[in-house]
Parts: sequence; C-alpha cells; structure tokens
Amino acid sequence: MIWALAIVPLLAGLALYALPRSAGDAAKWIGVAVSFVAFVAVLALRGAPDESVPWFSFPFVANFHAGLGQGISFWLAALLALTMTCALAVVRVPRQRGFVAQMLILLGAMMGVFISRDLLIFALFWDLQLIPVFLMLIGWSPDRRAASAWRYLVYNLAGGLALLLAVAAFGIAAQSTDVIGLPPPGGSWLANAHWSAWIFAGFAIAFLIKTPVWPLHTWMPDTYADLPPPAVAVVSAVQSKGGLYGFIAIAASVAPAPMHAIAPLMLVLGSAGLIYGAVVALVEDDAKRIVAYSSLSHLGLILIAIFSFDRVALAGAIVYIIAHGLFSAGLFLVLGEVEAREDTRLLSRLGGLGARNPRLAGGLVILALAALGLPGLAGFAGEILIISGVYRAGAIWPALLALVAVVLAAAYMLRLFQGMMQGPQISDLPQRPDMSPLEMFALAPLVVAIVWLGVNPGPVATAARDAYVSPPAIVSARP
Amino acid sequence: MNTALVMPFGSADWMAILPATVVGLTALLVLIADLTLPRHLRRQTGLAIAFLGTVVAGVLALQGWGHSYAAFGDGFMLGGFTIAFEGIIVLATLFTLLMSTSLGREDQAAAGIALILWAATGAMLMAGASNLMTIFLGLELLSLALYCLCTLSPRPAARESALKYLILSSTASAFMLYGMALLFGATGSVALSALLDPPASAGLFDAGCALFFIGVAFKLSLVPFHVWTPDVYEGAPLPVTAFMSVVTKAGMLAVFARFAYAALPASKAPQLLWPMWIFAAFSMIVGNVAALAQTDIKRLLAYSGVAQLGYIVAAMAGTTQAGLRYAIFYTVAYTFMNLGAFAVVALLSREREEGSHLASYSGLGQRQPVLAGAMTFFLLALAGLPPTVGFTGKVFILASLVFAGYAWLAGLLIVGTVISAYVYLKIVFTMYARTAGAPLRAAVKPMSLLPWIGLGVCAVAVLVLGLYPLSPSAANIVPFVK
Repeated sequence: MIWALAIVPLLAGLALYALPRSAGDAAKWIGVAVSFVAFVAVLALRGAPDESVPWFSFPFVANFHAGLGQGISFWLAALLALTMTCALAVVRVPRQRGFVAQMLILLGAMMGVFISRDLLIFALFWDLQLIPVFLMLIGWSPDRRAASAWRYLVYNLAGGLALLLAVAAFGIAAQSTDVIGLPPPGGSWLANAHWSAWIFAGFAIAFLIKTPVWPLHTWMPDTYADLPPPAVAVVSAVQSKGGLYGFIAIAASVAPAPMHAIAPLMLVLGSAGLIYGAVVALVEDDAKRIVAYSSLSHLGLILIAIFSFDRVALAGAIVYIIAHGLFSAGLFLVLGEVEAREDTRLLSRLGGLGARNPRLAGGLVILALAALGLPGLAGFAGEILIISGVYRAGAIWPALLALVAVVLAAAYMLRLFQGMMQGPQISDLPQRPDMSPLEMFALAPLVVAIVWLGVNPGPVATAARDAYVSPPAIVSARP
Repeated sequence: MNTALVMPFGSADWMAILPATVVGLTALLVLIADLTLPRHLRRQTGLAIAFLGTVVAGVLALQGWGHSYAAFGDGFMLGGFTIAFEGIIVLATLFTLLMSTSLGREDQAAAGIALILWAATGAMLMAGASNLMTIFLGLELLSLALYCLCTLSPRPAARESALKYLILSSTASAFMLYGMALLFGATGSVALSALLDPPASAGLFDAGCALFFIGVAFKLSLVPFHVWTPDVYEGAPLPVTAFMSVVTKAGMLAVFARFAYAALPASKAPQLLWPMWIFAAFSMIVGNVAALAQTDIKRLLAYSGVAQLGYIVAAMAGTTQAGLRYAIFYTVAYTFMNLGAFAVVALLSREREEGSHLASYSGLGQRQPVLAGAMTFFLLALAGLPPTVGFTGKVFILASLVFAGYAWLAGLLIVGTVISAYVYLKIVFTMYARTAGAPLRAAVKPMSLLPWIGLGVCAVAVLVLGLYPLSPSAANIVPFVK
C-alpha cells in the first residue's frame, strides 16, 4: 500500500492524457481527488510496516523498499499530498489537462523520493521528479524560449547524476543500497574514509543544488518566477525539501564522518544564504521573487540547524521544514491569486488591494506573519527551536546571524504585504472580485495546519527521535 | 594450429554457425522469390520471407544458450557471449526490416532486403569470430553489403554517403588488416587464443594491437575516429542508418570485447588497452558536445551514438567480468532505445525523410501526442533518465567503473550525460514548446504502419528492462574463448 502512494499518482497522471484535451476541469477535479486520497492514505499508513520487493542483487543488492514510518518521511509525505491538493484545487491554466497530468506525475515522483528506503530507488525518483517540472516549465512558462527550464534541468540533473554516481559507488562499497533508515552493521557503512568522503561529496552536491544553498541557488528564482502558481507552490514547499531530507535521513547516517568534517563550510554557506536571501528579498520588486529569496534565507537557516548537530536544532529543523512548506505554498498560491486578478506581481505596480479584497489581504497577512516568525504560528516554533539549539551547540555566530535574519524577515514580509495590500489604490489596475469561496477553501487547510503546528509542534518535533531520522551519530555527536 | 584448417568439420561445427547460415540463405530465398513472383508481390513477399528467416535464426541462436563449443578449429566460438550478440543483431535486423517497406526503388527492393540480411550474416559471424580471419571475413561481409545499402535512396546525399563510407571504412579495414598481419607475424597464428602466449617480438605485437584497435575504434565511431559517422548516417536511407547504428556496432563490440578479454596476455592488457578507454572518454564528451549543434535528427543520433558507444566501451575499462556483463546489457538497452527513436523518425517520414528534420517535430505534441510521447520516452532513456533501461544501464556501468577503479571515467560519464540531456531534451522541447503562432503542420501520414510494431516492442522493452534488468550471468558469458 505504501508503494501505491507513488505509483497511483504516476499512473493517474499518465491516464489523464486519455481524456479529451478540452476536459481541463474534469482533469482538475480528478487531480484533486487523487491528491486528497493520497493525503488521507498517508495519514492512514502512518507507522505502517515497510514494503520491499527485490530488484537486483548484482553488482549490489537493491530492492524496491518503501517505508513511511512516523518520522520525517511521514511528515514530508503528508505535507506533499496536502499542498498538492490545495494547489490543484485552484489550478487555472491554459491546456489544463496536460498541466494537471504533470502535477500528478510530480506528486508520484516526489512521494517516491520520501518513501524510498533504498538509495538507488531514492536516486531514481530524485531524477524522475525533474521531468514533470521541466515539462511544466517548457509548456507553461511565460517565456517561450523557456530559458529557466534549461537552467533548472542542467543544475538539477548535474546534482542528480552526482547522486547517482555516489549511490553506485556506495553500492559497490557496501554491497547494498537498501540502507535508508537502517543502523549500519558494525558501526559504519563505509569502512574506507576515502570512499566515504567522495560518496558524501556526491550526495552533498545533489542536496545543496536541490535545496538550494547559496551559491548554487541561481536556478531557483527564475524557476519559481516562471512556474505557474500551483506548481511553484508544490516545488518550493516540498521539492526543495528533498535536499534537506537527504542530509538528515541519508547523508547523516550513511557518511557521518565527512558530514561532520564539512560542517564548518556548511555553516558558512547556510549563513551566507540566510543573509543574502533576506537582503535580496528586501529590494526585489517581483513578489514571487521576494518569496523565492526568502526561501533561500529560510532554507539556509535549516541547513545551519542540521549542521550544528544538536538534538534541539534538528527538531527545530524538521518543524521548520514542514512550516516553511506550509507557508511558502500558501504564499505562492496567494500571489497567484493576485497575479490572476491584476495581471502583474510587481510591488511597484500594485498597491491598495486590501481595501477591495479583504479576504485576499487576510490570507496574505496570516501567511506573511507565519513566515516572519510570529509566535503562535508555525514559523516561530521552528525558529525558536533552531536558534536555541544552534546556540546550545556552541555555534554562536550563526545563531546571532539567524536573529538578524529574523528581523530582516519581518522587514521584507511586511514590505511585501504593504506593497500589495496597503497604500493608495492604484486606479489603472483591473477591478476584479475578491477571493472566491473555492480559493478560500483551498487556502484554509494550509492556514489551519500553520496554526496547529504553531501551537503544537510536538508531534513533528519528535520526528527527530524517530527511526528514520535519528542515526545515532547525528544526535550523539554534540560538541 | 595450421592443421586445424584441413581437419574435416563435423556437424557440430556447422550447427554452431547455423543462425548466421540461415540468415544468409534467407537472403538467397528473397532473391529467388523476386525472380519468380509477379512485380506487385515482390516487396511484401521478400520482407515476409526475410522476417521469418531472421526469426528462425533468432530462435536457433537462442537454442544454443548454455552450450559452449569451439567450432572450425577455434575459428568460431559458440557460447553465451556469442548468442547475446547474435540476439542483438537479429533483433536490430528485424526492426530494420519493419522500417524497410520503402527502401530503394521497386526493382531494388529484393536487393535491399538481401543486402540487409547479408550484412547481418557478417555481423553474426563477427559475434562469434575467434580468429583473425573470421573477424575479417565477417567484417568485410558486413561492410560490403553496407556500402551498397547506403546508395539505396533517391537523395543525392546517399551517393556521397556511400562513397565516403567506402573510402574511409576501407582505410580502417586496411589498418585493421595490417594490424592482423603484424599480429600473425608476431605469434605465427591467426587464432586469438594464440595471442595469449608471450609473443616473441613485443614490438611487432604491440604495433599490431595498436593498428587493430584503430580499426576497431573507427568502426565503433570512437573519437577521434568518428568524423565519418554523421555524414554517412545523414546520407544513408533511414532504415540503413538505423541498422548501421546498432548492428555494425554490436558486431564490432563483440570483436573488441573478445579481443580485450580473451586474447591479450594479462601482463600486457592494461598498457595496450588504455588508449581505448581514452577514446571512450573523449567519445562521451565530444559526441555529446557535437550533438548539441545538430538540427538533423540523423546527424544528432549519429553523434549521440558516438557518445553511447563511448559509454559501452568505457564499461569494459579494467576488463572486469561485471564490466563485460553490463557492456552487453547496455548494448541491448541501446538497441531498444535507439531503434525506438528511429522508428519514430520512420513514422514521420515520407520519400524525402521529413522526419529527420528537427523542424518536423515542432508542435508534434499537439498533432500526434502518442508519437510525441513515445519519442519523449526514448529520448529520456537515451539521456539516462528513469524509469527506463537507460537509467538502469547507466547505474550498472557506473557501478562497474567504480568497482574496476576507473572512477574518473565514471565522472566523465556523468559530465557527458548532463550535456546529453540538453541534446535529447532539445527535441522534447521542440515537440512540446508553444509554437509562436505558426500554423501547425498537418500530420504526416506514414508510408507504412509497420514501424509502429517496432516502436511498441522497443517501448515495452525500454520500460520492462529498466525495471527488471535481466542480464546474462557472468558464468554464461565469460568462458567464451578460453
């Protein structure tokens, strides 16, 4: 049944092409139904036993091994299905049937990433998830030449293939790739430190590009700007978490020694992204790019948390991964609503929308407050755990920089809100009605989840203790 | 060993080459049918006979699975290795026949079919050839048939292609033959097994190997001996290009693998073979970079073939058993991916081979969604993306390279693959990108629906082999010459 989480959406996506081209609305509701069923199924399968089918046994053992557990895999799978449901509910694009089909394929591929318990299957889905995003970029980006599609592809495929090579090398060295979430026999998977370092390097390249971490982020703003809002909501909320998931669930247990060795560099890169993203978000005019750069900043914070090797910081990282997924998906969906109404998303062109669109403004303000870390909402729960954990681990200056970034986050998020919703109304903007009930209904689950996670982060935070995330090395190696 | 040549051959010897013989005789049958039947039946009958004969040959070849026999005094070695390559050749020949419904003028139809079969016969002999004479015999049978096949098109480029192929390929054959002569001089025998003994004259032996490998690299289109490939592929008729891209390569890979694994003394193999790994490394990069600029699909697939052959030869680096196994697996994968793509080109082509122009693919996703989807699938496979046999095959090659200690080749393979993604997905982009207001061309009505069969089989194989990677076990393929 766990495998069905990945396979059913993939097949459903392909099957949508059997519908007539004009059946865009039918495709949309099929898509919503499939994602919603996937969400319910993820909740129902929490803690279900793993499933494994042998794949091949030479030159190393690889199995179709899937598991959901109760840890980070479960939370990310739930986040994925939830954001996909909300995003598909408000899909409104030309050639909609094909778009929904690609979204469902993306759902299946990303689900595969999070439920794989075999490194090679993980790498397979990791590469597979590129294809629908690439196809959506060439089919639906406003730029006909789709320059962002090629940049997305080249960066992410380079990462994906580095990962593949590392997995192949791991398979040769450890004789099996069916290792995710398993304690290593005899203390470590890779006895040879030299191999371990190279294999970690392959993983790290893939994970850093996907997250993305400064300075490998240059594909990200264009991709986010060019993808239609439902797609970017899912990609930014969940696909970008693949890299962080990879560090926590895979790299930390498969190659702990190089992971610790590289930590100082990662703290620097994370801090650079943290500040750089925040500063760019402060001056950017395009609302989508503001959120894209704010993601760079937030993901830098999570990277710092992971590489401070502190139990509290790790719990915070996992909470913040989910929190960021919820509010960034919501933000991109709201920005999509604004763009659909006003035909622009430039702050310099927008203004005063709040007077005519109180619901839109209300939705945006909750999400912006969550993003800037208002206590009681999800962002705060993650941030406070991360900053105190990082500080506790002795990484003083990253903790201080994180505080600076929190202040900057308040500045750019309020700037985003003010620029769009407040100020004088701009007369030459089209006058369009406020959010429809459906649009509000699609946003509501995200808002509810943000509040729930904000007041009750416990269940997610304990994921740090759970099977798939607590390779003993990462939490015991406190400085 | 010379006495072997005058020994009477038993029925087991003839049985060993039975599949190749059947294919060769089928060609004669096609010609006879052409003489006796009324004009309007000739092409169809010829194709049907050829198809049946090739299927029979394939079944006969598979029946030898598990047996191992040195036929004709070590001239032809039957075994899992030979059968694997014969199987690839038979498959590729069948797919070529499916595309050949319009090969040549009406009065050339039977000749075209017969030449394809004879070329396949030559390649099948190469698959089992274990002495220098048999290798050359098979190679020339293959090449001579192909020179003629290249001319079977009304387009002027075909003549140019044939002439270019004739001259350059003969030069390569000459290199190879000279190399063989030197090897014979060094060891006093034409048998590959004789090369294993420490040769009396090391200089002669090394020079012979070097010349032999140049010939091999030329026929495999490895960089820097690849420059003929795009011109010849572009000019030759489409089914012949498809045939060349797989059958010539498979025959020559068999020769190279047997030579590299079984004929070189272990003490000398690494020094003698390293240039081949360098050629493979250059092929992976140069082939993909050169493919970037192509707007003709046949030229693009020619350069992509250069790169793909680079992957396959690289897999054998270090001559490990796993490497050989996965080189064969990837050759099978390449056969299906490549011929699947060629089947799409054939389905988009009429007399002028419209399907070979990149512009013909513009908006194909709207006009012929199934064909566009199939092409996308094959291109993703060639690019090594999941869930295809291209992905699984690359994983195996990477693993065997790491295992053999050639991680740098694995790294270059990754670089080449990233570049190749741009090459292949450029076609996908053309098919699915929105055309700027240009009216959509009407769907091209294919000249024959037969390539759909090939396309379907290839698509299923690319998916199924990707998920269930059957590959011959080392026990079956390795004892192929000793």
